[in-house]
Amino acid sequence: MEITIKFTINGKMVKVEVPPHWTLLRLLRERLGLTGTKEGCGIGECGACTVLLDGMPVNACLVLAPKVDGRSVFTVEGLGSRDALHPLQKSYIEHGAVQCGFCTPGMLISSKALLDKNPHPTQDEIKEAISGNLCRCTGYQQIIEAIEAIDKDVRG
Amino acid sequence: MKQVGVEIPKVDGLEKVLGQATFGADLSADSPLQLRVVRSTRPHAKIVSIETREAGKVDGVERVFTAKDIPGRNSIGTITKDQPVLAPDRVRSIGDPVALVAARTIGAAEEAAKKIAVLYEDLPSVSHPEEALKPHAPLIHQNGNLLIEFHIIKGDVHAGFKEADVTVEETYETTWVDHAYMEPDAGISYLDEKGRVTVVCPTQNVHYDQKEVAAFLALPLEGVRIIQSATGGGFGGRLDITVQCFLALAAFHLKRPVRIVYSREEVFQVTSKRHPLKIRYRSGAKKDGKLTAIEVEILGDTGAYASYGATVGIRSAVHATGPYEIPNVKVRSRMAYTNNPWSGAMRGFGVPQMAFAHESQMELLAQALGMDPIEIRLKNALTAGSETATGQTLVASIGIGQTLRKVKEWEDRHPIVKIDPERPYMKKGIGIGSMWYGIGNTGVANPSTAQMEIDPNGEVRLFSGAADIGQGSDTVFLQIASESLGIPLREIRLIRADTALTTDAGATSASRQTYISGNAILNAIKNIKQEAIKEASQLLGVDEKGLFYEEGKVKSRTCLTTSLPVWEVAKRSGKILRGEGIFDPETTKLDPKTGQGAPYATYAFATHLAEVEVDTETGKVKVIRVVASHDVGRAIHPKNVMGQITGGVAMGMGFALMEEYVPGGMASFVNYLIPTSKDIPEVIPILVEEHEPSGPFGAKGVGEPALIPCAPAILNAIADAIGERIYQLPANLERVLEAVRKKKAVISDQ
Repeated sequence: MEITIKFTINGKMVKVEVPPHWTLLRLLRERLGLTGTKEGCGIGECGACTVLLDGMPVNACLVLAPKVDGRSVFTVEGLGSRDALHPLQKSYIEHGAVQCGFCTPGMLISSKALLDKNPHPTQDEIKEAISGNLCRCTGYQQIIEAIEAIDKDVRG
Repeated sequence: MKQVGVEIPKVDGLEKVLGQATFGADLSADSPLQLRVVRSTRPHAKIVSIETREAGKVDGVERVFTAKDIPGRNSIGTITKDQPVLAPDRVRSIGDPVALVAARTIGAAEEAAKKIAVLYEDLPSVSHPEEALKPHAPLIHQNGNLLIEFHIIKGDVHAGFKEADVTVEETYETTWVDHAYMEPDAGISYLDEKGRVTVVCPTQNVHYDQKEVAAFLALPLEGVRIIQSATGGGFGGRLDITVQCFLALAAFHLKRPVRIVYSREEVFQVTSKRHPLKIRYRSGAKKDGKLTAIEVEILGDTGAYASYGATVGIRSAVHATGPYEIPNVKVRSRMAYTNNPWSGAMRGFGVPQMAFAHESQMELLAQALGMDPIEIRLKNALTAGSETATGQTLVASIGIGQTLRKVKEWEDRHPIVKIDPERPYMKKGIGIGSMWYGIGNTGVANPSTAQMEIDPNGEVRLFSGAADIGQGSDTVFLQIASESLGIPLREIRLIRADTALTTDAGATSASRQTYISGNAILNAIKNIKQEAIKEASQLLGVDEKGLFYEEGKVKSRTCLTTSLPVWEVAKRSGKILRGEGIFDPETTKLDPKTGQGAPYATYAFATHLAEVEVDTETGKVKVIRVVASHDVGRAIHPKNVMGQITGGVAMGMGFALMEEYVPGGMASFVNYLIPTSKDIPEVIPILVEEHEPSGPFGAKGVGEPALIPCAPAILNAIADAIGERIYQLPANLERVLEAVRKKKAVISDQ
């Protein structure tokens, strides 16, 4: 049995059929072809599947798909394009914040959620905001620098 | 065309920030069948029967495979091939694969997997290496439970200890550590247009995978194609076969695309781990701090299969001295089979474990002699003309002294206040950890090959079989090619890590790709330049000797206006200009009895200083700062090098304080903790560039060195803070509290 849900994905309204027990992560990856959002653990411990739900960062692996009916979901695919990168994407590249890249989409979304709410975060606030996103390659330092640099850009 | 030493954007960065890099689970295939592995629930047992009938009846199931379906060699492994892909008649550890299900949906595959009934007859099992080596221990493999015994003998340790004014002897223990690469293993397989069994998945070595899969399917090498997908980390865990053989077996039989995705739980339970080592270490030194002798006994647990056990056993022994010149050395290193999870390669191949031991010893000697920790290290540090424990005389690029001096300078400028009167239960401490690390495989040939092409349309292509697993080798190779060819980086296309298009570059391991594949690329470029000069000589009617290559052009030595861009040489000659490159570092085999020889062509060196704060009431250790000084030869991409260092520090901190895989217990990030953004210290990297004459632009390597000195520095800092040493990793809350209690007991006794 499948149910029909309507929601906004990266600014566009979609209507999809989905089995009610599917997670938002599975819906994004398997029905909508949005594979930028990654599954690293499936139980909400690694943050690789972080997306925005009505502007709030959530683990898409913990949200049941029917729950997003009538709401707004934002993923890495909505962030920027090849020709028009989001400032965070640019900053991540410039600061060496990307190594294997598997945690990157979720990390970018958590960074965006932080800056949307708090454009001038302190280093501790940045660490707190990305503390649910595990990264095994970078040791986080260059990611933190990439986010801090945005703050500086905004302040000019 | 300056590219080396310049911080250009990482070439794979754009795809990755867009979320468009294709990792194992992102690969698409035309309605693939989903695979699921059935695994052993017993540590050691005979398989009496495998009942698959019920599983076959599940709606959507295409086929169930067992060992009987394997056409070729059902055993894999880097050196000793003792690990079955599907257990034929016996399992040797929990998690051993027993059967494989292919079904139209994941749900059907899972349901069928549950319905496969394996009847076991339990065998006595052994879970400690000491037990495994006893005379009547249950045999795990036919040739006995001792995988390897390796010795290093230099000088006369008896005489050395006699000469010593102080001796220190302790035993150190480490445990299983998981790579915890963020991407769970996954991949697809299909028959390509040429009928080749093609596997696409994350890996650290496509050409090794190809050999294993071909032998497994009894196909010629050309019948198998391995393509590396975007790879979400490796750290050694993807040097061994993970999903390749399962995928290939199903695609080979069913002639349909197949797909597998491991859960995180499965990754924890079935992939390799860092070898637990038990190290008994005795050191002797004179009053002035000069080391006179060491005697070291290493016993490792390779688990149920060999994997990289021999490599780790040998490398541990070779690195037992640390970066110090010691005249008398005796090391015995053994690796035993047990029915525990199998240990494999993990960032450092045993050297992180050894560094924990030798750096603790240095600290204990410094205390016994009343010397400064850096001073005693400097007194013994390897330098030009030093002879290593294997009798190799070092000649160049020996930066250990410099890394120590840089750390000392930093320390002198930033004295710490140890006691906080507001919080007397918080103790601060600082500690030093140093290391050396031989670049490339130990005492064996480990060549890399590469090709450079410029075609008549002007396309410039670089071919490398090396797998970039995030560390940035693709970027570094293109920098090397761009600078030495004199052609802008964006105009060079890199064709990479696909066995159908590239040749063997060896594994992305042992911190070897920059040094070895970088050199292979330089050699390919040397040859393509020669080729361009040869062709230009015909086009221009000038003798080859009168021409030279500079900045992308063939120029005349005599006539300043005569100059042909290399693409024009290709265009006008109508030929593809091609240069083949190979590089194999100069090493000698180690003597099987004494371990003497020159196992590596070059070594990296590093020193970390860690500053910690220990809460003596809870046992919590906060690492405040790590000053990480690294001799990398030359930083071809400084930002990548920094990234390796900060990442290595984080992983080293996990190794020191929190990471411990308990077999049969935890299988998620809920219990297996790795450092988060809130745990990490401030990292202050200091680059020391001691030019390596044989390195590409002077470079060596940094991937593993970044991790190795961190845990020892932290453990020494904890000892400095609380006045009591911890000899077993990880130094978790319980062990720290126990050490605090021990210290208090000693004080109240006095």
